[in-house]
Amino acid sequence: MKVKVLTPPASKRFLLAAAGALAVSSGAFAAEAVLTQANDPYYLSSREQLRKIQALVPNTRRAKNVILFIGDGYGVATMTAARIFRGQQLKGDGPSHKLPHESLPYSALSRTYSHDSLVTDSAPSAVAMTTGVKSNNNMLGLSASAVWRECAASKGKDVTTIGEIAKTLDMSVGAVSTARITDATPAAMFAHAPHRSWESDADLTEEAAKAGCVDIARQLTEFAFGDGLDVMFGGGRMNFLPATMADPEYPDLKGKRKDGRDLTQEWLKRYSNSGAYAWNTETFNKIDPKHARHALALFERADMQYEADRPKDRGGEPSLTEMSVKAIDILARNPKGYVLMIEGGRIDHGSHANNAYRTLTDAVAFEEAITAVLAKVNLKDTLVIVTADHSHTLSISGYPDRDTPILGLVKERGKVALDRDGKPYTIIGYANGPGAKNAAREDIGKADVLDPDYIQQSLVPLTSETHAGEDVAIFAAGPSAHLFQGVVDENYIFFVMDHALRATTRLAAAKPRKPAKVAQVKR
Amino acid sequence: MSFPAALSHPSRRSIIAAGLACAAGAGPARAAERTKIRDLWAAGGSFSAEASRLAGKSIEMRGYMAPPLKPEALFFVLTRIPMAVCPFCDTEAAWPDDLVVVETRRALIPSAFNDLITVTGVLELGAKTDSATGFVSRVRLVDAVFARA
Repeated sequence: MKVKVLTPPASKRFLLAAAGALAVSSGAFAAEAVLTQANDPYYLSSREQLRKIQALVPNTRRAKNVILFIGDGYGVATMTAARIFRGQQLKGDGPSHKLPHESLPYSALSRTYSHDSLVTDSAPSAVAMTTGVKSNNNMLGLSASAVWRECAASKGKDVTTIGEIAKTLDMSVGAVSTARITDATPAAMFAHAPHRSWESDADLTEEAAKAGCVDIARQLTEFAFGDGLDVMFGGGRMNFLPATMADPEYPDLKGKRKDGRDLTQEWLKRYSNSGAYAWNTETFNKIDPKHARHALALFERADMQYEADRPKDRGGEPSLTEMSVKAIDILARNPKGYVLMIEGGRIDHGSHANNAYRTLTDAVAFEEAITAVLAKVNLKDTLVIVTADHSHTLSISGYPDRDTPILGLVKERGKVALDRDGKPYTIIGYANGPGAKNAAREDIGKADVLDPDYIQQSLVPLTSETHAGEDVAIFAAGPSAHLFQGVVDENYIFFVMDHALRATTRLAAAKPRKPAKVAQVKR
Repeated sequence: MSFPAALSHPSRRSIIAAGLACAAGAGPARAAERTKIRDLWAAGGSFSAEASRLAGKSIEMRGYMAPPLKPEALFFVLTRIPMAVCPFCDTEAAWPDDLVVVETRRALIPSAFNDLITVTGVLELGAKTDSATGFVSRVRLVDAVFARA
């Protein structure tokens, strides 16, 4: 290997102390010149990263388990902002803080457009990951030829989900989310509906009810593959309780179901001794992973609390980490393995409200769950994927000094930066949403921009900020993780999970059979 | 959803300010103590010591006016962050459980859902059902006036 001298005089710019080593070196690892920047910490840390990547050996074994982390709305800008936020929260440097999934060795970019939109919503996005096909916005578990909100016209258009495949292979299947468990992302594991909002029977259109479409909550409790779904933790209790029944946490409010059915009781009945149901921390703590095989937990009427508000929840709620850990404790008892989706469901909601504080605190909760799961699973037999379903219009802008609080005003060289009108601006802004007014941009010089309830400014006035259409990142470790490379369509994620498990290959080899009657099936 | 930003009109503002002064009785208005919606709650969703201390007193609180349930309503819902109706979040308005019901002194002129407002009223704690709408609240600011913050 020759050392290329870039700039004369060589003696000053390069210390060719390595020349001797060069002469004696053998094999592929050639000696390198010792550059003047050789002791620079940036140089050293990236050189270390090169060594780590050079040492990677692809794991081509069959995966026993797959864990798919989805940060809802956890686009690259949001992830970067969350990294800075967390670093600063820990009283350290923001931008060089390392997020847990940054240690996963393989990555790719994911193109998230849906079949009918440049910008996807969570339904076809999650469906792309769980089925391998792109479909239309607002639709769940159907091919792109189905018709939005039309039950009869969507019959026969179901696509098979990784959850259905795994259950047919006698694996366990779970979903954990801080949003409603009937919301689009977790529902993509098990549901089929021409409208993602058909979460309870009260949401069905007349046509849908007549044509025999079943609401998403019932699809969850009546899931017919294998012995039914194993772990379902999240919010959305009102979709499972009748409109005549008082809610356990908010007794002045009721369930939503018109058919009078209490699906939580139906769940317990279906699974008898191996079933469990919880609605708050206390009942959640009573679920014993050694006994419960089919656990349903619904911690809120609708979405669970934002992480920032969780301590003040009336009934008490576990964190995403606590839910994820318990989910794995239950699922891992199946010797045939499991597929688990873990969704940070409300990163998205914070951004819809232009409330960057709640977006970032929920992102931190999502990252903590990743840390806990990585510490728990064996990457030799478990494929772990971390990705997002779409981005948001959040951006990080200005030229703020490195130690400026990420939620704060842009400061350059210690001074608040001003726009052309002499007004300050925050580092984080949104392209659209409730933070825009039908008036000149407000002067926020005296606003408490660091307050948790502060709404970031945006440009286009909308009641709810929108998703954004740029690519999102995929990170992976474990069996077949090396198949994530380059830029892929989002539905490619399905193929890596499927290949890792050899799922459809095994499915083809298995004898066709009818869905088993749950109560009689034993693992 | 958009409402006319009537409150930004100077004459309207001065009317509200006059009402505020009147509410405090004769003489110059005594500054009401300011608190935050989130500070009314303690861990586990019970009322905080701060809330108990301020109950029955005239206080000032900032937040956003959720679109009124009825146009001619004499009350509205005050929330920490704007009640943005997110097309993908839920099929029904999922009210936050820390909302404050504001019972206004007179028929209100709605402010835009994303205008930060300052409300002054007497803090009332405990569950109460509005007889006209059936809306249940746990915290209220009664005999209230408000202005854009």
